[in-house]
Amino acid sequence: MSERRPYTRPIDEDWWKKPPYLSYTARELSGIAVTIYGGVLFTGLFSLWRGPESYNAFLRFLQSPLSLLLNLLLLAVVVYHVVTWFQTLPKTMPKMIVDGKQVPAAKITQIATLAAGGSSLLLILLTMWVAR
Amino acid sequence: MSEAVPVKRSISPIFWLLFGAGGMLSALFGPALILITDVLGPTGTGLPADFESYDHALAFARNPLGKLVLLAVISLFFWHGAERIYLTLKDMKAGPLPVLKLATYGVAAAVTLVTFLLLLAIGF
Repeated sequence: MSERRPYTRPIDEDWWKKPPYLSYTARELSGIAVTIYGGVLFTGLFSLWRGPESYNAFLRFLQSPLSLLLNLLLLAVVVYHVVTWFQTLPKTMPKMIVDGKQVPAAKITQIATLAAGGSSLLLILLTMWVAR
Repeated sequence: MSEAVPVKRSISPIFWLLFGAGGMLSALFGPALILITDVLGPTGTGLPADFESYDHALAFARNPLGKLVLLAVISLFFWHGAERIYLTLKDMKAGPLPVLKLATYGVAAAVTLVTFLLLLAIGF
């Protein structure tokens, strides 16, 4: 038998729904929205494989007001993912030194978030230009 | 320290890599992808009315580059979510770990495999 009996601080079972942990939970669960979008594409690909009839039913669903509403909701959660992803970035990447000074975390977050917004906007404009 | 000690290697870095790749891909292009394929495309807003027609979608899925985009987006988005959901459920002590792994990593692995097979079946 082990002599070591470390003290483990008791913690409520529902700690994850209380602040300050709630923001952590919300950030992690934004991964569900990212997965749901992968699921939408997967469903589209599956219906495409099944044939025109199946694919057109999928497309009709995407055109429905319910789908548009759900997708705007999905968009909002994914934007939350984008914002929190770049808030975390300075903590997960190596220190960035420019001119002998460490670049502040807030600066990295700001630049990366702007770059992400720019790349999304660019993809939309590029798609519109190619498809025109 | 120079003696060869058998190191117990962890498989976790592979999951972190897939999680990070999916997280970065969705952070850079996620909002645009949702808008294009689920909102603007189906309604023909700012895009041609037949942008997402069966013929166009089939041509995209038959193009090698289109296949790569579909496989990357679908599988990495699932791996990203799998890592986050697994770790959160683990922290919540939501169930036995093998069950949680199967419900997250297992689903992501299955979706990756089926997507790969669907892209092959759709042809070139």
